[in-house]
Amino acid sequence: MPFDQLDLKRAIAGDERAMQRLWSQHAPHIDAVVRRLCGDPELAADISQEVWMQIFRALPSYRGDSQFGTWAHRIAVNRTLNALRKIRRIAKLEIEIEDDTAITEMETDRTFMAESIDQAMKKLSPGARAVFVLHDIEGYTHGEIGEELGITSGGSKSQLFKARAKLRTLLAHLVEDSPNVAGKGKGHVAAI
Amino acid sequence: MSQLSEQQLDQLIAAERAREEEPLNEWRTIAARAREEGLIRGGSGPRWSSGQPWLQAAAAVLLLIGGIAIGRTTIGLPTVNQQNAAAPNAVATNPPTSQASASTQSNPASSTYSFTSVDQATDALDRAVREYQNASQYLAANNISTKTRDSAAFYTARAAALDKIANATESALQTAPHDPVINQYYLATMGARVATRQMVSTAGLRGF
Repeated sequence: MPFDQLDLKRAIAGDERAMQRLWSQHAPHIDAVVRRLCGDPELAADISQEVWMQIFRALPSYRGDSQFGTWAHRIAVNRTLNALRKIRRIAKLEIEIEDDTAITEMETDRTFMAESIDQAMKKLSPGARAVFVLHDIEGYTHGEIGEELGITSGGSKSQLFKARAKLRTLLAHLVEDSPNVAGKGKGHVAAI
Repeated sequence: MSQLSEQQLDQLIAAERAREEEPLNEWRTIAARAREEGLIRGGSGPRWSSGQPWLQAAAAVLLLIGGIAIGRTTIGLPTVNQQNAAAPNAVATNPPTSQASASTQSNPASSTYSFTSVDQATDALDRAVREYQNASQYLAANNISTKTRDSAAFYTARAAALDKIANATESALQTAPHDPVINQYYLATMGARVATRQMVSTAGLRGF
């Protein structure tokens, strides 16, 4: 059932059923971005609760200028990054980002190999994962990522380049194991 | 060391972008916190916003009947009480009771009344509605001249006023669909508007 304006008003008024409909419709996507940014399911579950509380608190301020999902998604990203920052994961990353030599983790250790991109992302440093998720999955620009993370646009590009390079290595086994990503080809380095 | 191509990585990213999983929490967990913070109002269900459609319908019908009764009495149509009593003092005997109760229970000017619960306030509101209906009946029976009743201008003015009130309350309900006061005004207005139109039709007035 689509979440219409009447449901929105009911949710603002504290109607539990309307709030549950909102949550049911958007939680799969909202929680997915939280999970990707966190990389840790338990932490993601805790932060997701905070995210939804913040969405419900902020409902009266939603003016309908954008799709509700887009609006809620922004809250999810901001809240998650704030939470991660509080636990000093992002703070550590921000130092790493300024040091271009810090992440050259092109390990050849294939025991480190992940089975899927979801698992491979967990192998990235928190900052590299945040940049990769925001840019390649959520569609943020480097400028927007810079604002969110408090880094420069160039730092975001650099971090993304390294994240993608690492993922290409971590996921190499998929080329050998799965026909879905066959067609090995030379590929090309995407503009980042 | 083998590597995915950029293109192959982009394929995986596209698949990941489209992937959705079960929510990280159950609704009851979220709801419990929302209730703690007062974001969810009411216990098992808000008093004025029951999820039971039949209960909402019953409440709406009850208020509509009340509104129609007000409308009928204020425009001078006989009420059930008046018809049964077959005597003007049936209405006239009511007001002293109402006045007495008004003076002893709910004189807002002299009252320093403060409510301690939603139920208490709701009961007071219900009492006020009943007194309003009694007062409307009394005024309809005693304070409107025959000349006024027959005046087309009178009914036109009333209908226009009721339309405005209906529009205003409808608008307000868009913002606060469960507000009990607005709901009561809205339904009473709709009832009065129906009765007014009925009176207009009975009187042979046109142009509404």
